[in-house]
Amino acid sequence: MTDPEIGQRKMKQYLQELAAALRRLPAEQVRDIVEELRSHIVDKTSGNLAPDSVDRVLIALGSPQDLAGMYLADDLQVRALASSSPVLVLRSLFRWASLSFAGFLVLLGSIVGYFLSASLICCALLKPIHPHTAGLWQIPDAADPYSYSIRLGFDSVPPGSKDVLGWWIVPLGLAVGFALFFLTARLGLRSIRRLRRASPLTAYRKKVEDLQ
Amino acid sequence: MDDALARPLPDPGDKWEVQVRKGCLELAILAVLWSGRLYGLEILRKLADGSALIVPEGTVYPLLSRLKAEGLLTSEWVEADAGHPRKYYKLTASGRRRALQMARFWSTFSANLDGLLAPLQKEGR
Repeated sequence: MTDPEIGQRKMKQYLQELAAALRRLPAEQVRDIVEELRSHIVDKTSGNLAPDSVDRVLIALGSPQDLAGMYLADDLQVRALASSSPVLVLRSLFRWASLSFAGFLVLLGSIVGYFLSASLICCALLKPIHPHTAGLWQIPDAADPYSYSIRLGFDSVPPGSKDVLGWWIVPLGLAVGFALFFLTARLGLRSIRRLRRASPLTAYRKKVEDLQ
Repeated sequence: MDDALARPLPDPGDKWEVQVRKGCLELAILAVLWSGRLYGLEILRKLADGSALIVPEGTVYPLLSRLKAEGLLTSEWVEADAGHPRKYYKLTASGRRRALQMARFWSTFSANLDGLLAPLQKEGR
């Protein structure tokens, strides 16, 4: 095998891995990205694709997975910022969570926030349907005398429990539930913006280590 | 290595310097595109020549793609003499506005900071 063929093969493998890592994007966009990087590699090796030059260019670009990670994170973010839908916010945070510890904490916080807000809203909506079981209950507990539980009312309440809010759960649950929902979305979006600025650093550090 | 882009920073552990470089990267890209369309590698070379912005190559392409998604740039494939097409980027009207806005902010900001730094620079001599 001649040198340009080896170089060609290295480039092809890199671009295939990149395309595989980008598969969640529309096919058109993946092709565009792959072609752009192909033209970058060819130009940087002055078109001769000598294996050593190809190696250097590929190291400078970072691993296909890191590079794809930056494209995907940016793409999800743009969509999450535009829509603020919980699914996109969480997906976008999920991606960041795999890149940084701060991202992981924010992801956990957002999941808890969305979960609590959904529970409160469901509870408020179910109160009229199951008035004797749905609501915010104080449940007697040997270890902790003040154990509170949001119950949606699908099974009966343990004996000795007290309905703390009664019918107030309807307006309060809706108000607090929706407030929490918007708060979580806002914090999530703000973190996405902030993490976006912080994260290429991680990828960059790794690249510098690889070079040394 | 035919250019400085892939060279590691003098001290990669220095968070602040990396942050400053990165924060300026977006403005620098809009600035190099001010006078006309360029393809990715030309942008990288201009950044390396014209400033101390030593940029890891892998961060520039995704950033270009984001600036395009935000409507600040457009791109088109152009068949080149090199025998393969190249993807050229161009500022949009809103990209030009954004560049001007960032440049104004930068001028005020750096002038103010220079004022604060004057005593340090005297000391340093």
